[in-house]
Amino acid sequence: MEFIYLIIIVIGIYVILASSFNFVIGYGGLLSIAHPAFFAIGAYTAGILARDLGWSGWITIPIGAMMAFCCSIVVSLPALRISGDYLIIASIGFQLGLIEVLKNLKITGGAGGLSNIPAFLVPQIGSAGYAALVTVTALLVVLLLRYVAHGPYGRAVTAMRDDEAAFAALGRSPMWLKLWVLALGSGIAGFAGGIYALYFRYVTPEQFDVMQSNIILTMVMVGGMRTTWGPVVGAVLLEILPQAITFLNLPPSVLGPLQGIIFTSLVLIFMFVRPGGLVSAGQHWHGSDYGPARRVP
Amino acid sequence: MFDLVIIGQILWTSLATTSYLALFAVAFALVLKVNGIFNFTQAAAMSVAFYTAYSCVQIFKLPGAVAFIAAIVMTLALCWIIEITGFASLRKRKASSLFVFIFTFIVSQFASYVITLIFGTWSYTIFPSMFWNVHMLGELAISAWDVPAMASALAAIMGLFAFLRFTRYGQFMLAVSDKPDLAQFYGIDTRKVFLLTMLIAGALVTLGMFLFGTRSLVQPRTSMELMLFAAVATIIGGIGNLAGAAIAAICLGIIQNASILFISSEWQSFLLYVFLFTTIIFFPEGLKLTRKLKVGATSTRQLPQTQLKPQAAAERTE
Repeated sequence: MEFIYLIIIVIGIYVILASSFNFVIGYGGLLSIAHPAFFAIGAYTAGILARDLGWSGWITIPIGAMMAFCCSIVVSLPALRISGDYLIIASIGFQLGLIEVLKNLKITGGAGGLSNIPAFLVPQIGSAGYAALVTVTALLVVLLLRYVAHGPYGRAVTAMRDDEAAFAALGRSPMWLKLWVLALGSGIAGFAGGIYALYFRYVTPEQFDVMQSNIILTMVMVGGMRTTWGPVVGAVLLEILPQAITFLNLPPSVLGPLQGIIFTSLVLIFMFVRPGGLVSAGQHWHGSDYGPARRVP
Repeated sequence: MFDLVIIGQILWTSLATTSYLALFAVAFALVLKVNGIFNFTQAAAMSVAFYTAYSCVQIFKLPGAVAFIAAIVMTLALCWIIEITGFASLRKRKASSLFVFIFTFIVSQFASYVITLIFGTWSYTIFPSMFWNVHMLGELAISAWDVPAMASALAAIMGLFAFLRFTRYGQFMLAVSDKPDLAQFYGIDTRKVFLLTMLIAGALVTLGMFLFGTRSLVQPRTSMELMLFAAVATIIGGIGNLAGAAIAAICLGIIQNASILFISSEWQSFLLYVFLFTTIIFFPEGLKLTRKLKVGATSTRQLPQTQLKPQAAAERTE
């Protein structure tokens, strides 16, 4: 049963991650792949505070989220000031640069990773309770993002994404809206990072590398970009699918790249064959009560 | 530590090793200039070039020249496939810049995983040894690799500039880079130009990777870091400015190598990311190092929405 609980917890964490990434890349149309970097910031912040200062997860997880929120503003502000295209380069650079920093700092445990993070809630409520809590949290995050994306704020984001010039002509600032979208998405990723670190109690820089970007991107692309439930479907499907491969007892040197090939192939196939993903935005997009349904990109 | 001989040696070695960095930067800048794409698939081309040459020399025991030709053939084939099945299709579908970006990123990652599966994560060089004979010029040590590498890189870049300036297709490329719609109106086949640009970039990347692989250790992730370096150099040099990208790559390479005098080696690779953010914050339009050296007019090039050009061309095609 422990294995089942573990899968449920991981699915819950990835649902949060994929939904927040969908908010940034799908609803916001912002080209950033550094989501795992903000996931890492949340994880390391929560882990370090819990281990070195003995603070409770109730405090460290929100602080991790806030740290990711603030870092995303610092990273994206200069890039967005110029052009959205620069965000691509800035996000890749930030992610790879952060991994270099995590590998070299003593406080983060260096390349060996951050270990001995105290357990949070599991000793009190058990793995089943933690799995239930993570599932409820993931559901709340999905509903929160749905509420934000489909409300007045979401309509502004959609307008900004679809026609930035027209949006600016109305006297609104696209840059600040983009910044807010990125910060919110990154903050939620940091929140997921805190949950992750305090459950697994051990994090390493490699867990947040470009492979993570591929995994989250695949979940969003396969599930359906710009939909509420697409990333949820993608996260559930793509967390269960690799479990089937692990039963083949392949060596890690084969398993890792094989999973990477599967994830990237799925993205490429869905891009050309079914760009809307499994849950098509054409049927599920209700961003505007007064506008037509949005086309899938 | 600050002995003149040591500084001179570091500068010389840095200058020599920047030969391949300049090639990567020019290839990246060329595709961005003409095709209007941040071409992250360049990392895939770089990996294919290296591992083809490595396989020919180390596994099949073929001579270096054959390995280089095989690497060129394989890389050009990959670039052709990527352009025909990927970029051309995305242009036809009028894909958003988001989709083009995801495509280039995922292709580079896909290639990295396939190569990791085949060759593992070990580091390799093309030839069994990456050490070359050294000749002394006064107190300066010059390896047998340095001068041929610099000469071949310089010849390739000069050849590209000559091609752009003096050949019919070179002029077509400049025309498409400036105004694709107008170029098509005058009868230029933009699809051929986009393909040609990808192939030229592939050839430059192959030469660069061959030079790099005969001097340094390569693993599947190396090409991504080298490509990011090329992207930074392209931005610093000014988008649309090939000479600027090459000069920026050389300057960045020298600074990164010379930094060993000031910072510990484990932080040396972190410098690239410092350059990246410094550039984006302070020099988003590049340093304007080479205004007079610019190849072709790029007056209409705007920094934002670089991905729109292929779409515009595709719209004209339809």
